[in-house]
Amino acid sequence: MTDVSPISANPRAVAAQIFRARAHSAEVEARPQSEITNRPRSFNPPMPKRYYYYLMAPAIAILAFISLYPFFWLIVMSLQDVDIGGGEWVGFKNYVKLFSDGRFLDGWWLLAQYSVMCLGLQVGLGVLLAVVVNSSKYEKYLVTALLMPMMMAPAVAGLLWLFLYNGTFGWYHWILQSVGILDNASILASANTAMYAIVLVDVWQWTPLITIIALAGLKRVPRDQLEANMVDGASPLRNFFAITMPNLYPVLLIAVLLRFMDNFRFIDSVLVLTGGGPGSATKILPVYLFEVAFKFFKLGRGAAIALTLLIVTIILGKLLVRVFEKPQNEKG
Amino acid sequence: MASRDVVSYDTPLSRALKVLAGLFLALYLVWTLLPFFVMFVSSFKDLLEAFKLPAVGDWAGITVFFEFTPTFKHYTSLFTENSFGTYILNSLIAAGGSAVISVIFGSLAAYSLSRVDFRGKQDLFFWIISTRMAPVVAVMVPLYAIFRSLDLVGTLPGLILAYTTFNLPFAIWILKGFFDNVPFAIEEAQMVDGSTRFQAFRSILPLVAPGIGAFVVLCILFAWNDFLFAAIIGSGGAKTLPVATRELVQPQNIQWGSIMAAGVVTTAPMMLLGLVIRKYLVTGLTMGAVKE
Repeated sequence: MTDVSPISANPRAVAAQIFRARAHSAEVEARPQSEITNRPRSFNPPMPKRYYYYLMAPAIAILAFISLYPFFWLIVMSLQDVDIGGGEWVGFKNYVKLFSDGRFLDGWWLLAQYSVMCLGLQVGLGVLLAVVVNSSKYEKYLVTALLMPMMMAPAVAGLLWLFLYNGTFGWYHWILQSVGILDNASILASANTAMYAIVLVDVWQWTPLITIIALAGLKRVPRDQLEANMVDGASPLRNFFAITMPNLYPVLLIAVLLRFMDNFRFIDSVLVLTGGGPGSATKILPVYLFEVAFKFFKLGRGAAIALTLLIVTIILGKLLVRVFEKPQNEKG
Repeated sequence: MASRDVVSYDTPLSRALKVLAGLFLALYLVWTLLPFFVMFVSSFKDLLEAFKLPAVGDWAGITVFFEFTPTFKHYTSLFTENSFGTYILNSLIAAGGSAVISVIFGSLAAYSLSRVDFRGKQDLFFWIISTRMAPVVAVMVPLYAIFRSLDLVGTLPGLILAYTTFNLPFAIWILKGFFDNVPFAIEEAQMVDGSTRFQAFRSILPLVAPGIGAFVVLCILFAWNDFLFAAIIGSGGAKTLPVATRELVQPQNIQWGSIMAAGVVTTAPMMLLGLVIRKYLVTGLTMGAVKE
């Protein structure tokens, strides 16, 4: 209980003090028993929080200005017909139009195709690579070499591959022709191959990310289990699927979600390589959005598209954060 | 160092697997590094030499690739015919500015988020991290409209602010992990000895300083490599390296030599920086999911 000194001249202050003390004890009691016993607070000085709020404030203010404010603005814009001049309210017209917009729906479908192809190849190659690298003597150097593509600006990577894919002097084009996979057609100019071409660039640049994440997962696989299983006569392959893979799943899930969201986030290399073409064979949704908003400057329509994209990302993000937080809970 | 396989039989199968693994690794390394090699070598080639290819299927003709007399003219033309000096400076200011802002405010916020509990903290945290993960194009639509009304489009401050949209949440998210690892007891002891709260905060900074330094570099890397923000928000007054490189692609006349040289100029510094902060690179690229 708090001791209220009768000498205090200011009854308001006394009342406030009592009120604070009560509020605090109520807060403590309201906490579940487990939380109180499991996580003892080493420290509980009077009004500690305000100080921390001051430290947080500038960052939160900046973020509010560059993320929250634009988000509301985005909603407002999506209800308007905005172009360079200014906007007028049109209600939900922008949204209604989306449903009859073939390219919008195609954009989602292509984005799904693109993401699935990228992720399938990256996870497959990435895990295989991680297993091989993990058993190599030169692991450190290999990882350093693998990190290199990720240091390159995606736009520059796009330009570089544009050079390699070129129909008249590109070395990769030449290799593919020499192997006999390709006839004379240019890789990026034909609708059949353009999609594979942009997938391949993404695979080149980002497979190593999956590899380093999987590598970290491999380190966590309990050796004793592997050995016990081996003693029981399991083949290495069986060992891999029975013990290694289940241990890899959690980290792989993180890797997949990260890459999935990055596929939504970065379109630099696609913009540079094909710009969505030929026709609209590689016009994945973010590219289409870029075109609508920043080529034709239909910002209102763009905002509506952007909002759908954001909602999907937020759902994915929610998933990701849940996965992220799991190991921490288990630890504590 | 963890022990190698304790049980390893040398059977034909395992030997075959080993050879296969080595082969796969070698192939993968070639696939990963070849583009870098081509870029580097092509940046020293004269235009006609860069376009030389052997006939289809003529594998012995690969040596054509090495038949050239090295020239530095592409590099010099970047700085004489194009003003890449300015673009490098723009890139540096935009990336460095946003990195410094992000890490200063980010570390304050990360520290306090790591030390205090309040209702809605998870939601606040989710908001912060979703800001980082939002698709750049989607963020740019309203940001462009806002920046245009504030006359920030085409200026370096605008670009710095735009980069802060992804760097600040990133810094908060990663640095919070760092501060979580520093026991509160250290600050507590300092405060018992009579330090103020801020002095206590400063006393633990040396413990996280290397990490913070590494994340300044990482923020620079993300901003330096950005293309979309720079192309739209920075268009005109604040041209950065990736955008300038892209602009060398002109419909009738693609200057491949210069593009490759510009690619080297854009990529090499980041690669060196990456090597310097190698230890934190993996943590940063995986958003803190993997710690080395």
